[in-house]
Amino acid sequence: MLLSVKNLHTWFRHQGRTIKAVDDVSFEIDRGETFCLVGESGSGKSITALSIMRLLPGTNLDRHDGEIRFQAQGEASVGLTSLSEAEMRQVRGGQIAMIFQEPMSSLNPVFTIGEQILEAVQLHFPELSEEDAWARVMLALREVQLPDPETRVQSYPHQLSGGQRQRVMIAMAMACEPDLLIADEPTTALDVTVQREILRLMKALQQRTGMAILFITHDFGVVSEIADRVGVMQKGKLVEVGQTEQLIRRPQHSYSKALIAALPENLARHAPHTPVSDAEPLIRLRQFQIHFPVRKGLFRREVDRVRAVDGVDLEIPRGQILALVGESGSGKTTLGRGILRLTEPTGGQVDFDNTDITQLDRRQLRRFRRHMQIIFQDPISSLNPRLSIAGIITEPMKVHGIGENQEQRLEIARDLLAQVQMEEDALWRYPHEFSGGQRQRIGIARALSLNPSFIVCDEITSALDVSVQAEILRMLLDLRAERGLTLLFITHNIGVVEYVSDRTAVMYQGRIVEQGPTADIINRPQEQYTQQLIAAVPRVRF
Amino acid sequence: MLTYLLRRLLLMFPTLLGITLVVFVVMASSPGGITAESLVEGQNLDPEAKKEITAYYNRLYGLDDPAWMQYLRWLNNASPIGFTFDEQNELSGFSFTKGSDLGKSFRYGRPVTDLLAERVPITVLLNVLSIPLVYLLALLVGVRAAVERGRSFDISSGMVMLGLWSVPTMLAGVLLIGFFANEQYWHWFPTAGLSERVVMDQVFLPHWSNLWDLGLLFLLVTLSAALFLAMASAARQWRMGFIGLSWVVLGAAMVWQLPEAGRSPLLWLMIPGAFALLAVWLASTDYRLLRQLGFLSTGLLVGLLLAVYGMQGEWLRGFLLDRVWHLVLPVVCLSYGGFAGLAKLTRTAVLENLLSDYARTARAKGLAESAVLWRHVFRNSLLPLITVAASLLPSLLAGSVIVESIFSIEGMGKLAVEAVQTRDRELVLSITLIGGMLTLLGYLLADFLYALADPRVSYD
Amino acid sequence: MTEPQTKRQSYWRRILGQTFVRWGARLGLFWVGVLAFLGVFAPFLASSFPLLLSQDGELSSPVLEYLQPVDVLFLVAFITLLLLIPLQLTLLRKLLALAGVLAISAILAYAWVSPPKLVIYEQYRVAEAQGSYDWVLYAPVPYSPKDYQRDRGESGLEAPLSNSERTHWFGTEQNGADVLSRMIHASRIALGIGFVATGIAMVLGVIIGGLMGYFSGVVDILGMRLVEIFEAVPTLFLLLTFVAFFGRSLYIMMVIIGITSWPGYARYVRAEFLRLRKQDFVQAAEAAGLPLSSILFRHMLPNGMGPVLVSASFGVAAAILAEATLSFLGLGLVDDPSWGEMLNQAVKSSSFNWWMAAFPGGAIFFTVFAYNLIGEALRDAIDPYLSKSG
Repeated sequence: MLLSVKNLHTWFRHQGRTIKAVDDVSFEIDRGETFCLVGESGSGKSITALSIMRLLPGTNLDRHDGEIRFQAQGEASVGLTSLSEAEMRQVRGGQIAMIFQEPMSSLNPVFTIGEQILEAVQLHFPELSEEDAWARVMLALREVQLPDPETRVQSYPHQLSGGQRQRVMIAMAMACEPDLLIADEPTTALDVTVQREILRLMKALQQRTGMAILFITHDFGVVSEIADRVGVMQKGKLVEVGQTEQLIRRPQHSYSKALIAALPENLARHAPHTPVSDAEPLIRLRQFQIHFPVRKGLFRREVDRVRAVDGVDLEIPRGQILALVGESGSGKTTLGRGILRLTEPTGGQVDFDNTDITQLDRRQLRRFRRHMQIIFQDPISSLNPRLSIAGIITEPMKVHGIGENQEQRLEIARDLLAQVQMEEDALWRYPHEFSGGQRQRIGIARALSLNPSFIVCDEITSALDVSVQAEILRMLLDLRAERGLTLLFITHNIGVVEYVSDRTAVMYQGRIVEQGPTADIINRPQEQYTQQLIAAVPRVRF
Repeated sequence: MLTYLLRRLLLMFPTLLGITLVVFVVMASSPGGITAESLVEGQNLDPEAKKEITAYYNRLYGLDDPAWMQYLRWLNNASPIGFTFDEQNELSGFSFTKGSDLGKSFRYGRPVTDLLAERVPITVLLNVLSIPLVYLLALLVGVRAAVERGRSFDISSGMVMLGLWSVPTMLAGVLLIGFFANEQYWHWFPTAGLSERVVMDQVFLPHWSNLWDLGLLFLLVTLSAALFLAMASAARQWRMGFIGLSWVVLGAAMVWQLPEAGRSPLLWLMIPGAFALLAVWLASTDYRLLRQLGFLSTGLLVGLLLAVYGMQGEWLRGFLLDRVWHLVLPVVCLSYGGFAGLAKLTRTAVLENLLSDYARTARAKGLAESAVLWRHVFRNSLLPLITVAASLLPSLLAGSVIVESIFSIEGMGKLAVEAVQTRDRELVLSITLIGGMLTLLGYLLADFLYALADPRVSYD
Repeated sequence: MTEPQTKRQSYWRRILGQTFVRWGARLGLFWVGVLAFLGVFAPFLASSFPLLLSQDGELSSPVLEYLQPVDVLFLVAFITLLLLIPLQLTLLRKLLALAGVLAISAILAYAWVSPPKLVIYEQYRVAEAQGSYDWVLYAPVPYSPKDYQRDRGESGLEAPLSNSERTHWFGTEQNGADVLSRMIHASRIALGIGFVATGIAMVLGVIIGGLMGYFSGVVDILGMRLVEIFEAVPTLFLLLTFVAFFGRSLYIMMVIIGITSWPGYARYVRAEFLRLRKQDFVQAAEAAGLPLSSILFRHMLPNGMGPVLVSASFGVAAAILAEATLSFLGLGLVDDPSWGEMLNQAVKSSSFNWWMAAFPGGAIFFTVFAYNLIGEALRDAIDPYLSKSG
């Protein structure tokens, strides 16, 4: 056994209270294998990893309990909890290396990447000469396939892309040839195509060096790509451990079952709407573009433009859900806000029910807004923290003259809350009293309060756990059927696209590269970019 | 980068123009304004002479012109390029080389440039001495407070710093002068000025008539410093007892220094007692650097005192030592506020970086906590402090006004107070201009340094 | 994630609750309360005129006769505040009500309250010594701030409690006036300057900063130039110039300190508005077609006020310090004693008298410290919300 964790408990101090963050966790990792810890946010998976490394900040950590034994190649087994701090430092980086979720903030911004890797090398191989150490740095950079390592070694972290930074992190971890690599959600912040490359790289490195990987993620797709064995965590407890295929196919514990059932891939499909052939599209974009000027030089002259949305033609038929898919920076969010004129378009037109809304003046636009609404990604910042839920929902109604008096509007608000499955007494509470999923429901209720016919949903489930995501998506589909809503569903999650949408448009560098019925796009992509994108999505197989 | 600097420099001109305009408008629109009459008002002259002088002032400064005309004229004179006029005040042409003329002070009757050349270096000297002191001490306390976050050192230093920050400069100045420069109490420091007249003709460095004295001084100071420094690392009880006792003796000596009438039994108890408490706290702290610094300075002080007591021969203070002696109180007075504020900022900056992701990466590499702190965190924490340095300058300049007034130092701050009190238009405008220019250059320098220190910033 | 359990509580109630949990903030609030009490009841706490006296069986209260219009105004303001606080009104309405009551009572007070022009402080002491009264009840500090005690000869300076015949807790200054009495009356100036000057600065800063932040573009560039102009001159220089050229009335001083310290607030509000404009809930308000006034005042301003209020409580401290500094440099108020002016007296006198420096200086220190403590606690309470709720 390379690593064996027995009865690990970790207590945390938080605002005067002691919280049990890790509760009686036991597992083992063998040489050369990949063990995945899966769980929703707050399940204690990262804290388990940090407990093994003994990296929890001293101000919060109350105490550990339990046994963590580690046996490096050709050495005796040691109990990590009983090592002195100096001995533990030899283990950290040297025998157990760790990489993190945010490659940007995890690298020191004021040192070059070469210097940062060199530091690790010189720390664990003090006998190496300066040149040898540098040679090792270069070797590590080549191993992680960083393009043009000779020049990149002098770069600062901010000069690299997200994927390159994560490669650097891996190079730093691999430079000292550890026996175990702990990867804490290393691909969560990356786009799917980059994620695939990083996962492939990690697999290749593992095969070459025979190290073990403890991989922490919330994404079952990634699990099925990389893991040999999986452990499922819930509220600090490890509820089930098993071979990946077995666990995903036949989960035993009720929580694992619920978790796997909530994956968008496993949700019961709804019958796709067939467009009524003679129905006019509700939304029609023609040569729609949003450019941002880039100003430079002594007099801030416009020297270039960022073409965020660059000539988009798109139709959304009435009563249908169009999914807009793309990687970060593809312009999909800008497009969504541009349709509502929250970001001013710089060209083209948007026909809403045959009215060109780009031609409306401020006052007309304000009246027109009740027909189209938006729901946001971040449930925390999308509600005004100073207003009660009643205020948040009724104010737009009042402005647009819905309901004759405040009593009636409150009555409508109660109905809306019931529709999004919230208690009535939520009306008099403030946003901070609700969880992320509840706030997202309130956001939906707010959007519905004006009884719009079109809603832009901007990544509304990406900040939520899968179980909450499933509930929200189901609810949204019900509401659509009930009210005949037309939705533009912006997302990067292909599973969600498949579950929710009738049609799909793929966006890349400000343009729509391909659009059509969802099933066609997913199963028979025509364009090269779409093919890459679909292929890169980690799927729950078996 | 170059374009950015150029752009910033160009933007400075409208700002400087605005600053002088604001000040000029204030002066011109005040009740009474600046007229020749208001200048001669206080003087006791017969009407004829008064009229003469009024006319003279009007001719000299153009005070009977409309206000906008006066401002434009001043601006033209002050700007290094502009229109030139001949003897009869007629426009004679436009020159790029005419040079800047800040005019003559109403009150002193001397060119403003000369006055500023005398006064500005003194203020700059005060500030140049204060800034490194402020930064050094602030880093010493702030870094430690961040490392010890939530523990006693952090909490107590936080309170002390906030308290220190709240002490008005004039209170500190008045009390320092009152107790340490006054014959009623301890007459250790001079009350006013930057030099004694006698030392103006003396040698630069201190001079001893008897070489043995110098040797004695050197020997005693070295021995005592070494002894105290060694004791700083002794066992806890030992060092506490040792330093406590030293300070009790020092405190008693201090009371002994008082004039007879001032020595009350309460003081005999209070001063040594308070000193002992402070010293014991210093000895008990785990912060080694602070402890060593405290012990070392005690050692130096004790050695110096013993040497002064034991020296036989005559000695001359010399210019340098005299200057230092005069500067002690003003610099203390000018520095403590900035030190307290900066220490709090340092704590915030270091703390933020200590909890950052990259610090965690560094720990995961296997680096020791001290290496994480000094190699990774420290450099990043300095970045916000660079920006603060720029805003420290205006507040130090403002502090100079008070400090110079209290300690009667003939610097720019004191000149500013005198100028506005006597409604000296040319002087007020020039001081504002210089003050504004120094501040803006400070901001620019800070931005430039920031770009050097932070590879992420490239001003394109 | 755990479900938050707190019940209905508006944002500010929560913030204030968390602020005043800290003992530092409580201490600060306590000191400010003490100052307010001293300021409001100054004429009854320190006055040469007896509170009550009985002459030939007739009761009279000289202190009421000699009450100045300003004294009445302070009392009215205090009572109105006490009455308003428990009422269920929005903050804005409360402020408006207070302003209205103050305006009316100011007019009435200046019209009707007319204390005797000629003030002879020692008359009651002399009369008492002659035995003309049955009994006399004096204020706790039986000296008015400008009572130089001419009846007691040329005694002048006295150290605290050095004279066995009469008690001067904090001693007297060189003219013979009681230091404590002067300090009690000066606490009004400190309080008034602090609040009014900061209020003016805040209003100016919020308006200018808000305009810059919301409209950006040309407005922003011009506004930032203006901010830079005011920030590039050390505030003290500007203050000195203003005060030296515009005279030394208390009200002018308040206005001047106000208009020299707005740039900080403007900068904060601008940054906040720029940040808030991109926030989802503001975008949602925009998407709902809410009018500009609602977006600005209901959705943006309340969320942007946090840092402004923090800097305002530091600002009150700075304003008090500014007044003290000006008075100290001899550019302060001419008539009434202020703490800074008393400190100046201590310097000007030929010998160093520690009680003349330490007590008023200490009062400045404690007041500034109190506001700084409150400001710091407020910042700590607001900060997590800024990062959590964006």
